[in-house]
Amino acid sequence: MNNTQLNRVLLYYARTGSTAWLAHLDMMRLFSRAMNRAAWPLAWSEGAFNPRPDIVFGLPAGCGIELERDPVEIGLDVSNEALAFDLEDAVRRLNTTLPESVRVVDAAYTEPVGKSLMSRVFAATYRIEALGVSSAYTKTFTGAPVMVEHVRKKKTTTVELTSKIMDADVSDDNTLLIVCGAGSVNHLRIDLLLKALVRDGGLSPEGAAGARLVRESVLINTVSR
Amino acid sequence: MTSWSSLSEAKQRALLRRVEKPARYSGGEWQACDKWDVFFHLQEEDRIRFAFCFPDLYEIGMSNLALQILYATLNADEHTWCERFFEPAPDMREQLIKEDIALSSLESGTPLYAFDIVGMSISYELAYTTVLDMLHLGKIPLRSVDRGERDPLVVAGGPVACNLEPMAPFFDLVMIGDGEQLLSDITALYRKKKQNRMTKRDFLFEACRLEGIYVPAFYDVTYCPDGTIDTIEPNVPQAPRVIQKSVIRDLNNAKMPLAPIVPHLNVVHDRMVMEIFRGCARGCRFCQAGFTYRPMRERSFDRLSDAARSLFQKTGCDELGLLSLSTTDYSQLSELLEALIPRAEKNHVNLSLPSLRLDAFERDMAEQVATTRRAGLTFAPEAGTQRLRDVINKNIVEEDLLQATEVALRNGWDRLKLYYMLGLPTETDDDVDGIGYMVNRLIARWREIPDQLRPRRFFINVSTSIFIPKPFTPFQWAEQISPDEMRDRQQRVASALGRNRRVNYQWHQFESSVLEAVLARGDRRLANVIEQAWMQGCVLDAWHEHFRWDVWETLLSEMPGGISFYTRKRPLHEKFPWDHIQIGVQRIFLEREWRRAMEGKTTPACFEQCSHCGVGKYGSGVCLQPPRAATEKGFGHE
Repeated sequence: MNNTQLNRVLLYYARTGSTAWLAHLDMMRLFSRAMNRAAWPLAWSEGAFNPRPDIVFGLPAGCGIELERDPVEIGLDVSNEALAFDLEDAVRRLNTTLPESVRVVDAAYTEPVGKSLMSRVFAATYRIEALGVSSAYTKTFTGAPVMVEHVRKKKTTTVELTSKIMDADVSDDNTLLIVCGAGSVNHLRIDLLLKALVRDGGLSPEGAAGARLVRESVLINTVSR
Repeated sequence: MTSWSSLSEAKQRALLRRVEKPARYSGGEWQACDKWDVFFHLQEEDRIRFAFCFPDLYEIGMSNLALQILYATLNADEHTWCERFFEPAPDMREQLIKEDIALSSLESGTPLYAFDIVGMSISYELAYTTVLDMLHLGKIPLRSVDRGERDPLVVAGGPVACNLEPMAPFFDLVMIGDGEQLLSDITALYRKKKQNRMTKRDFLFEACRLEGIYVPAFYDVTYCPDGTIDTIEPNVPQAPRVIQKSVIRDLNNAKMPLAPIVPHLNVVHDRMVMEIFRGCARGCRFCQAGFTYRPMRERSFDRLSDAARSLFQKTGCDELGLLSLSTTDYSQLSELLEALIPRAEKNHVNLSLPSLRLDAFERDMAEQVATTRRAGLTFAPEAGTQRLRDVINKNIVEEDLLQATEVALRNGWDRLKLYYMLGLPTETDDDVDGIGYMVNRLIARWREIPDQLRPRRFFINVSTSIFIPKPFTPFQWAEQISPDEMRDRQQRVASALGRNRRVNYQWHQFESSVLEAVLARGDRRLANVIEQAWMQGCVLDAWHEHFRWDVWETLLSEMPGGISFYTRKRPLHEKFPWDHIQIGVQRIFLEREWRRAMEGKTTPACFEQCSHCGVGKYGSGVCLQPPRAATEKGFGHE
């Protein structure tokens, strides 16, 4: 691989604690600032008026969801710094300029493929910790469609949830593990899932509100050029 | 009663999920100070827990430079841990009350009542009810007399500290002047109090001897039959008759926040900031900060250049604001920009220069600033005619505005924001109409520029606010115009600007300006009104969606003399509620300036010619420097 190809990096990061409460845009700003502090040679979008660093998140993270391994792709401007940029060292530096509750857990060079990172995301795995959450899940999802109302910008739509869930592990009553659709098609919103568990599964509203939500991983399609 | 840190994680999550923008409350920002592991190794009497309270929402407070300066200063001391508190938004406030959770710090979740010192940083009068709300949410008795030895010491500072009389019963002490030294002195003295087991009163006896410390309870105020102040006298021998403000003589020795907290949220001013100088040399007669922060003291070029380097490295932000009351007056601005611009470009950082004087916005500077990412351009002519600009000592002429606009247009700006004030002393209909006339002249100037050298479109945003007479300004004797006049003048501006698609006119609800005027020149008798207003639900009064004029109007009308007692013109001999405070500028100078205003005479800037205002006694800043050459257009409209 020659140097000209070493200009895209796929990072996986985790977030817990206070940063789990950030909205997606805040998370993007947090990363670009941490990378500036760590002196990463970010590539910038063209355009005189509002150039932006080339940082692409695989899947926006909702407010209040912890992450264990979420992908983010970084474009580098290695025109002047090809020799100076050592990924391992750069990640070490980045982990010292990120708030303690955010950590890069994995990093590798990647090659540009036909589709953007966001459009290649197709599923995610979640861990939901709340008293009796698995029983509530079993009671709610019996194979029949589960319809939930979703209010967005004062518009109410009805969303079906069963078809968005690929697998679930209910062996621990207080910890539900699910694999579900994510990204631009068939995306499952965890807040809607909790809503259904309260309505149909008997999960207490307080239990749902206080549930620990952890996205364990995001699954990405590998698409050739 | 419980605190945030004692809640279970599930409970914390449940609360945060019920509110908008939970990141306002979750803390953990980059470079927030966490001393948890080291601080508690110190003996209890050897450590000071300081609660820095900003009585507004997180996004406003975290945009405040004073917060960053004082947070860095306090936390640089190993014996002090300064933590932050902001007023919660109404949704979170409701949750805290419902669940009986005390307002707690962002850093460690410790409740406000558990701190040694609670410091309120007050930037505007409309924050007064929010101060009370924060104390209440923090489970601290509101009034100083109701607080015992185990309650925190409640102190205040900030731009309005020069007349905090309406809030006098709520504070144990008020800090007047530059906060950096004052806070260090107070925390050191408080440590001594803890070590020697002094009573609060004995502590206050010692504190009131320090420069800049005012203990309101040590003064009695008496009133004349007409309601004006008769006497303000100390009631203990330890208290000085006059309280002198604290001044940092050399700003280069003061702490700069080189590794400030970087908020996660998109706050109002989401950028790194450098205070390039403090104070102002101009003497605009309506401007309180311009007089109370005198003398103008610059930070050195080297200090600023180093600071910028550190800020770039330690924050990673994409905008750097060069802050002051009048940025173009910095003596080495051109050199500073020359040094900063290449570094800013390399780091994709936008330089922002608020508070530009339009008589100094020249071609070179426009070209320099235009090379970084271009922010909007705002000028403040303040008044519509030359006559009135001379009255307020703005020291700019119409041609300055025309030229500055032309320079901006030729350098690619196509939007301009203009600030004006309505209700200034001696204002007539002609002055109000002058705003519309000026705006039309600017549009005409845009048309005169050849097509290829000007932007295709041009928009002007005109914004007016209502003049508020403030203490320690030459206009402290002036009246505030009546609400009817305010409404008429706003409408007059609107009709003078007409239905021009290039012009957008913004004005503010004037009722909050009336309240601000009452509180700004208010006395101790207003404390009951403020407390009553808060009890009736007034909080976050600076937010127009939360402002309850009906409540305030009723309460103020029940005062003897009503609202007009506080907004009226004051005779020259009248004793003010703030006469026992000495901020450097002498009353006799302000009186002279008031007379000159009435005669339409201007006064030169400090760096052109000394006007003997009184701050020369500090032997600092511009007062020590030889006069700069007077600009041709600087003064001389007498």
